[in-house]
Amino acid sequence: MIFSLAWRNIWRNKARSLVIMISIALGLFAGVAVLALYEGMLKGRIRTVIDEETGHIQIHHPLFSDERESGYYIPNPDAVLKTAAQVPEIEQINIRTLANGMLSTSTGTAGVQVTGIDTLSEFRFSLLKQKIKEGTGFKPGKSYQAIIGQKLARKMKLETGSKMVLMFNDTGNNLVSCAFRISAIYQSSNARLDEKLVYTDRRELAELLGMPGQIQEIALKTKEDNQAEAAVSQLKSLLPGLKVESWKEISPETDFLAKTVDSYSNILIVIIMVALAFGILNTMLMAIMERSREIGMIAALGMSRFRIFSLVLMETVFLSMAGVPVGILLGWGTAAYFNKNGLDLSGMGEEMMSSFGFKTMIYPEFPAEKLFSVLSIVVVTTLISSLIPAFKAINMKPVENLKA
Amino acid sequence: MKTSKPDSATAAKSDVVIDTHNISRVYNPDTIPVYAIRNVHLHIKRGEFTALVGPSGSGKTTLLNLIGGLDKPDQGRILINGTEITALSAGELIEFRLYNIGFVFQSFNLIPVLTAGENAEFIMLLQGKSKKERDARMKQLFREIDMEDKMDRRPGELSGGQQQRVAVARALASKPQFILADEPTANLDSKSASNLLDIMDKMNREENITFIFSTHDQRVIERARRVITLVDGEVASDTNVIDTSAPH
Repeated sequence: MIFSLAWRNIWRNKARSLVIMISIALGLFAGVAVLALYEGMLKGRIRTVIDEETGHIQIHHPLFSDERESGYYIPNPDAVLKTAAQVPEIEQINIRTLANGMLSTSTGTAGVQVTGIDTLSEFRFSLLKQKIKEGTGFKPGKSYQAIIGQKLARKMKLETGSKMVLMFNDTGNNLVSCAFRISAIYQSSNARLDEKLVYTDRRELAELLGMPGQIQEIALKTKEDNQAEAAVSQLKSLLPGLKVESWKEISPETDFLAKTVDSYSNILIVIIMVALAFGILNTMLMAIMERSREIGMIAALGMSRFRIFSLVLMETVFLSMAGVPVGILLGWGTAAYFNKNGLDLSGMGEEMMSSFGFKTMIYPEFPAEKLFSVLSIVVVTTLISSLIPAFKAINMKPVENLKA
Repeated sequence: MKTSKPDSATAAKSDVVIDTHNISRVYNPDTIPVYAIRNVHLHIKRGEFTALVGPSGSGKTTLLNLIGGLDKPDQGRILINGTEITALSAGELIEFRLYNIGFVFQSFNLIPVLTAGENAEFIMLLQGKSKKERDARMKQLFREIDMEDKMDRRPGELSGGQQQRVAVARALASKPQFILADEPTANLDSKSASNLLDIMDKMNREENITFIFSTHDQRVIERARRVITLVDGEVASDTNVIDTSAPH
């Protein structure tokens, strides 16, 4: 009876109820859409980190990460590579020679991170080939070529074919400089890396550093993302003298982003729902005040305070919940559409997005795993916003309200 | 019709449904006290058809509210069928009203989103009566108020007189000890008022249901078999009207 009465009561003032239902649906849609966008951006960022920057796992000399000095190379790299290849989860292996250096041209200088690569392996591992905007990579038969980022090229006024000088310390701590010709210019989705990373041939770099055949970095990819931690554990036990890190440790800001985005999402939903709670509260208070005589009458007839409380509570729940499926469906539909077609945010500023390491094409994902927490927030908000009208209703005195 | 003073002393104790002992209701007791009811001492027996009359502000509605357990006296005791309702807690009073008292209000006070039938069975639903029991009672009551064909109508689709008849059916649905009706004919035209009084009179005579009205309406006063006049919250007169039209 209370169920039926509550449902009919919310339709007494159709326009008012519809306004609050639509508000809740739109609020929830906005919340779900933003969550989907966050999820898409986050997953896109994680994919970029894994696929284009770090891989799932990296192996270094234990002191390399602190100092980033070329002298801290991986001893006996062939044996390490053989060990890594034996871990069943590992799918791809890429080796790099690294050096911190200074790029110098007639227009100025810039601090860079020189990365010596095996072209084919790097092209496959970090999708470098797809990022090249000018040129085709290292030209066959030519020595001392470099691939630089677009941002660095613009900053240093360089283009393909230009010459530049790279300076760095070799393993004997001698200053080494060498002229390189720019064979290609790349653009990734991470502007900070584009300004810093210079690719050269690995063997040439190792020779310039005075450590031919040595490498500072082994980057690995597992078959599945969720195999990374297990592979790290295995490699740590197999290679006790080396530093084995997962992408979360190598790119802690991305891991932090992944961890905090959940909290931000929940905070966002709470903010939306708090705003809506005032709407619900206002609507229910108006409904209760308008029906004060009727509430006084049903109390006079013998309807208990508990039942009156339940009636108001149920009306609030119906009012709020009616908009929930619509909001979620709209959110799901929008997320599904843009997940398929992509959402181009280049209008927001490609450079700004890339400076934070995000691609401009986002593929929002409906946050199905967050649906429970979203619904919990909605239910709690609804119940809280129903308390004031419900207490107001049960504290109405029949004698006074029947006079109204 | 003849009139005589009611002899409460000789009333059989078990016949007394409402028993008020020197009840008073005072507003603004700490500033300028206003006595809405002062030392009212009444016995109302089962089957009485009583009108509370008096000028506006004489305390009729206040007395009905006190008897109906909607308000508490500042002084005195009220016993309904032997239960001292002035000693009951708020929750106990709500339950007491649900099972013992029927109310008919001046402005009908039907729930607009429920049909006439649903309004009338509302109290039975609160009492947890079965559907079978409710259906049987509704059928009987709507036959008595001559509205069998209008059970599915919403209050907004009924005339004032029809709405008040549904309100009477609602008050009677749970077979209460007595029915309190506050100015039940005030918002009705002559024909509807007469029709309503006929129904209540018939139920009083045939089913021995106790009715207490507060009223200004001469038509109600003429039908009443006991008339209690209140002036400034006190009982100014209490008269039994000997009904010569009664079949016994």
